Amino acid sequence: MQILAQLIVSGIAVGMIYGVIAFGYQLTFATSKTLNFGQGEALMLGSLVGLTVVAFTGYWLMLPVVLAFGLLQGAVVERLGVRQAIKTKSESGWIMATIALGIIFKNLAENIWGRDAMKFPSPLPEAPLSFAGVNVLPMEIVIVIGAIGMMLLVELFNRRSIFGKAVVATANDREAAGLMGINTSLVITFSYALSSMTAAFAGVLVAPVTLTGASMGSALGLKAFAVAIIGGLSSGFGVVVGGLILGITETLTGYYLSTGYKDVPGLVLLLLVLSFKPSGLFGRASIKKV
Amino acid sequence: MLKVEKLVAGYGKVEVLHELSLSVPEGKLVTLIGSNGAGKTTTLRALSGMIRPQSGRILLRDADITGLASHEIARRGMAHSPEGRRVFPALSVADNLLLGAFTRLTGTRGRGRGRGDVQRDLGRMFDIFPRLAERREQLAGTLSGGEQQMLAMARALMLSPEVLLLDEPSMGLAPKLVEEVFATIARLKAQRITMLLVEQFAAAALDVADFGYVLENGRLTASGEAATLKNDPAVRAAYLGQAH
Ligand SMILES: Nc1ncnc2c1ncn2[C@@H]1O[C@H](COP(=O)(O)OP(=O)(O)OP(=O)(O)O)[C@@H](O)[C@H]1O
Ligand SMILES: [Mg+2]
Repeated sequence: MQILAQLIVSGIAVGMIYGVIAFGYQLTFATSKTLNFGQGEALMLGSLVGLTVVAFTGYWLMLPVVLAFGLLQGAVVERLGVRQAIKTKSESGWIMATIALGIIFKNLAENIWGRDAMKFPSPLPEAPLSFAGVNVLPMEIVIVIGAIGMMLLVELFNRRSIFGKAVVATANDREAAGLMGINTSLVITFSYALSSMTAAFAGVLVAPVTLTGASMGSALGLKAFAVAIIGGLSSGFGVVVGGLILGITETLTGYYLSTGYKDVPGLVLLLLVLSFKPSGLFGRASIKKV
Repeated sequence: MLKVEKLVAGYGKVEVLHELSLSVPEGKLVTLIGSNGAGKTTTLRALSGMIRPQSGRILLRDADITGLASHEIARRGMAHSPEGRRVFPALSVADNLLLGAFTRLTGTRGRGRGRGDVQRDLGRMFDIFPRLAERREQLAGTLSGGEQQMLAMARALMLSPEVLLLDEPSMGLAPKLVEEVFATIARLKAQRITMLLVEQFAAAALDVADFGYVLENGRLTASGEAATLKNDPAVRAAYLGQAH
């Protein structure tokens, strides 16, 4: 029983990370019906940039730098890979382009930071706290708070500020939003920026408890994609639930089967999603407007 | 105020409007009537930048706005209440109205009336459309068709427009609501708001308008003072004899 509780608690932190990445998929899908398939690479870049910066600033001061970097990186992805596809209403151009950009970013990272996994300094003590025999790393608590905080902040921005409302309006009806004087192309660029920013943030949240390196993003991005499809691409906190289920399933698999198989549940989930909803992935079936 | 010269526009390779010219003088209400598929909506869409004209010129207060994106045209003071209402369903009535004033709230409005007092205008909209006041926190997607129509008009007015384009504000409404919509339009006219009104109810539109244009297959077939048009035998036979 205690072991089960321990596995569940350990799964929560990584589950929240999946949730945040999936949340990032939602952000761009809402405004443009497109996704950044290099989302995992955005996380990886954020984490590695963070690793470089953290040496100079310490963990907490590094965060704003990484967030700013994420914004910029997302805007670049939109401008280079997505804008033209949206303009020409290309169904698949953005898929190829964002995957290609992801690979480029990964190569770039390998050249700058090398191929090996590296330890990311933890801002908090690395000794676990014990709650009724269940061990929790202080950093895991930060992950959960940080992930939920980030999602709530974005939600608050959308609801309260006039610019956030412009984002929701663009998601509802892009043409009508244009008539209000809203530059909807800019809104889409912004949603990509925000999406990469959340991924970069997830990257520096998770790095102290895992490791960081050029290859950390690919599997995370794919698995979070499955979570986004299941949790709902259009909106809502279904992605948090989906992320937690996947995170916990993974730690269970890792313990009861073998740690070598811990990526399998997420990828099986992805295959299941693809085989049961092949046409509905981006289509009307998966997005129902109010 | 608004001048259109030899406008050619359409969808893809299909040309819908063939060298259309018209003008809307400041403070006047001009109506554009014509049967289904004549190109009325296409005209308004070209004016507000929802589609890019193939050729011709559109002048707003003597400034050339041809080919600008719709948000740039809105920032120059053109408001468009589009066909099918197009309110933002997931946002509240109040938020829809605030977005109507987006250019003023964000200071992106070029010249003309700037930020002004958006809150005061919001209050004015709730005076003109009391039904919206009762539902200010309700999601626009859950409003009735008539309420959505009022919201679409009010949202366009929140831009504090130089020119207001209205595409069939009476569409799909019960007769009593249609009357209400026309009464509102008359009230806006009394405030000397410059308007271009597209309507199926040709008789009612000509009653309230100063000038009228008749559009047929993308070409103007008649134009003139609304009162004169209304008594034109050809116009009467084609548009005023029928039920709508
Ligand atoms: N998105 C579109 N793509 C292609 N053709 C279109 C499109 N929208 C309209 N058309 C065509 O353009 C022509 C003019 O349509 P438009 O909507 O401007 O007519 P309308 O005068 O507003 O008619 P109604 O009174 O029915 O609203 C029609 O032949 C229509 O089929
Ligand atoms: Mg029409």
